[in-house]
Amino acid sequence: MMGSAMPRPVAYITARPAPIEVQIKHLGIPKARQKRLLAIMDQAWARVAKEKEGPLAGSDEVNEKSTNASAAD
Amino acid sequence: MPLPLINPNAVFLNIPYDDEFQPLFTAYVVGIYQLRLIPFITSGIPGGERRLDRILALIQSCRYSIHDLSRVEISPSSPATPRFNMPLELGLTITWAKMHPKRHTWFLWESLPRRIQKSLSDLDGTDVYIHSGTPGGVLAELRNAFVREDTPPLSRMMDAYRAVEAEINRILREAGSRNLYSASAFQALCLVALDAWRRIQADFKK
Repeated sequence: MMGSAMPRPVAYITARPAPIEVQIKHLGIPKARQKRLLAIMDQAWARVAKEKEGPLAGSDEVNEKSTNASAAD
Repeated sequence: MPLPLINPNAVFLNIPYDDEFQPLFTAYVVGIYQLRLIPFITSGIPGGERRLDRILALIQSCRYSIHDLSRVEISPSSPATPRFNMPLELGLTITWAKMHPKRHTWFLWESLPRRIQKSLSDLDGTDVYIHSGTPGGVLAELRNAFVREDTPPLSRMMDAYRAVEAEINRILREAGSRNLYSASAFQALCLVALDAWRRIQADFKK
């Protein structure tokens, strides 16, 4: 017989995070590589912005099924 | 012996390192950064007899841990073997948290409700976070588990996930890796996830 379920733990976070620049520095990625990666993401975010302007804007895909990452290579 | 220093924003991620899990892994990393926390994984830790010591040291240095047991199953390749790494690391964590409850809080995650009662009945009575095997489920449950002021809405967290996931193959290529869990790819994933947080915050300030 199953026991009564304990409430799920919840963490109320109050610790201040390090500034983002410090966190990026801690990753230890050379500047040139950072630039290349962020250029890739510039394009991705431009697409996201465009999609949100389209007919699907505001749609919630919270329950979309997980898909394999090896799409459109 | 002095207790190790704790990073109060660090989250140890105990997850399966397999291809099928990659979208959920991306969601975890993106979501954790959206909560202004920092994810840590063991994949960069080299093998050998010291590996377990290093994993334990990593757990001890993190204030929180997430143990995703959704893929504790028998491997399809011969010889069919159950995967014990995640339950082992969960066991280490529970022991550490029992000894030092103020230093560590652990969270149990699954894809299906009640599966844990079958796979790990000793944890009966521990309520789990259920992500339903979807990135959206991971993000929604991260928001339920970790409460912090100024967390972006779920829809913006999904935008961040979609932006990163859409470019995973280019990120992997740039990292010179086919494996998102490799040290180089994880480093790149952390950078683009941090950048996603920065972009979303900038939008809010407009």
